[in-house]
Amino acid sequence: MAVEAQPVPHARSGWRPRYRGKNLTTAALIAPPLLWLVVFFAIPVVLVGLLSVGGIVLFPGDAVWTLSAWKSFLDFDSVYLGLFWKSIKMSLIVSAICVVIAYPIAYFLALGTSKHKYTLLLLIIVPFFTSFLLRVAAWKFILGDQGLINSFFYSTGLRADEHPIPQLLYSQFTVMLVLGYVWIPFVALPIFVSLENLDRRLLEAASDLGASRWQAFRRVTLPLSLPGVVAAFVFIFIPTIGEYVTPSLVGGNRGFMFGNAIQDLFGPGFDWTTGAVLSMFLFGAVLFFTLIFARFLSMRQLST
Amino acid sequence: MRSDLDRILERKLGRGQFLKLAAAAGGTGILAGCGASSGESDDTDTGAAGATETRPSIDQEKGDLKVLEWAGYELPTYVGVKAYANTYPKPKYTFLTSDDQALSKVRAGFRPEVVHPCVGYVQDWVNLDVVEPFDTSLMKNVKDLNPAMLEGGQIDGKQYFIPADWGFSSPLYRSDKVDTNEDTWALFYDEKYKGKISWWDSLENLIVAGYVNGVDDPWDMDDGELEDMKKFLISKKHVVRNFWASQTDLDADMKAGNIWIAYAWAGSYVAAKDAGHDVTYMEPKEGRLSWVCGFVLMKDSPNYHHAHAYVDEWSSTFSAEWIMLNYAYGHANTKADLSKLDPGFVEVLHLKDPSALQEPKAHMDRFVPRRKEYNAAWDEVKAA
Repeated sequence: MAVEAQPVPHARSGWRPRYRGKNLTTAALIAPPLLWLVVFFAIPVVLVGLLSVGGIVLFPGDAVWTLSAWKSFLDFDSVYLGLFWKSIKMSLIVSAICVVIAYPIAYFLALGTSKHKYTLLLLIIVPFFTSFLLRVAAWKFILGDQGLINSFFYSTGLRADEHPIPQLLYSQFTVMLVLGYVWIPFVALPIFVSLENLDRRLLEAASDLGASRWQAFRRVTLPLSLPGVVAAFVFIFIPTIGEYVTPSLVGGNRGFMFGNAIQDLFGPGFDWTTGAVLSMFLFGAVLFFTLIFARFLSMRQLST
Repeated sequence: MRSDLDRILERKLGRGQFLKLAAAAGGTGILAGCGASSGESDDTDTGAAGATETRPSIDQEKGDLKVLEWAGYELPTYVGVKAYANTYPKPKYTFLTSDDQALSKVRAGFRPEVVHPCVGYVQDWVNLDVVEPFDTSLMKNVKDLNPAMLEGGQIDGKQYFIPADWGFSSPLYRSDKVDTNEDTWALFYDEKYKGKISWWDSLENLIVAGYVNGVDDPWDMDDGELEDMKKFLISKKHVVRNFWASQTDLDADMKAGNIWIAYAWAGSYVAAKDAGHDVTYMEPKEGRLSWVCGFVLMKDSPNYHHAHAYVDEWSSTFSAEWIMLNYAYGHANTKADLSKLDPGFVEVLHLKDPSALQEPKAHMDRFVPRRKEYNAAWDEVKAA
């Protein structure tokens, strides 16, 4: 018995330090990102939260704890709440369009070609080698009154000189076009990854069982790639809700969005309290959407 | 002069990429006409003489002056900086792109010693309790500065702000495309040019609307007036193609023919001329707007005397001439030599008319006490 009992404490003593070491390694690995998150994310969010209720103020002497900025923001006819819905609507449309356009691209890359797949993928990302502002400037050259498209219409006589298509530049259409252009490559990537990981034998099985190509796509490929589609949708929907650069550059007189309002309030308006209210609301909304999407994603992954 | 201006146009200045690269290749004539005399600035309450007495002398200071400046003013070719750096260590520069951004930086804890804001924001710097008045007795060139501008930089009789560069804001339009019988800001609301008009993305639109509609004091409207101007702008918004945020964008749109009529600084007039367009820089019957930027002194600067010396070099006659020649801005120094400037610019910008910078021909930028309400109204216009 005694002899048999011997190894147990040994095993334990041998196991314990390993466990401790593992703990230390885990802590060491987690600490830097955790610290990063706390310093650059959690603390700023708390500070903005305090700003929104008057706990911190721009000018000394103004400090009064109050919910008045929240109240006026949540007023039914608040201009900023209206802007929020406008931004949500735009983001939804842009995200949906991007996903619809990006899916065939990702599909072609993942399943249609095998030889130059990664070269083509690189080509999709090539526009990102230049600055965002340059790419927007290029769009202005294409869409301007004397730009590529309007000039084509003038030269073919489809439109009279000096009568350009006004919606081409500085409209909501332009905002969506540029946002789509900017985001489609990003959207294509998660879809590409999910299609790339698709077990090809399932398609063969579908075919063996008599499914047409369309049926195989609808019953096998599409459902299995849905997590990628949802991820892609989230990828674009979340950041575009707060987008303000593109609308201000090409949105024209209808280009004012929720993000622009936040920028105005923290900038020339000097109304940091209301700006913080808008920021916190946006943060809450994004958190809400992320949780919903995350839940949907994990459900999908479970079911696959 | 042309080559100088070309250089300006090619260079990316600060102020929102080139903002306010503007106005008035000169203005010295105007400023001289404002009645500056060496004796007048003696009336200015220095307000900080006491502070000076308690400071270490300039020799005891380290001299590592920290300046929060618009990009383009730090260049070693700028004679003001050169003259200062000949005597003292070169300042350490950080850059601002707008007044509100500069204020935010300082609010967040950044501590420069000299900052270059515009006059409309001086009250904010004082409210933030981070600046102290200059001791003008330490600066030999202040006596040559425009007294009206100096006065605009005083709060409670103390000289918190030393004026430096200035310029106009006015409607700019394509003379070959726009046919106007009357010089008025109301051109911004003309249905005939729907889709070819660009407003500056600024709450100043409410002030312009105030002047057009004959409001008593467009810089300090009450709730009713502000509501009226807001509704007025919303009713006119459909004629506007865009609200420009940076001057490079506006210049590109004027060049490409997307825009024919715009709120503009004189730099855009120069740019449109350079692009070969036939343009007019209007002198509206309601008066042009004008702006002036300059310096504030941060509290407890360890380089108190260096800060004064730096601003003093900025205020010199040769600094003024260099700024006017190279950046096509006006300068607050009234003793600069106008004959060094391109006569064409002096003519087009009425620089020899002493009243061109005074009410009612021009309305100098100033603090907007109800800025929060103005901003909310302007946001509503944009969101409508």
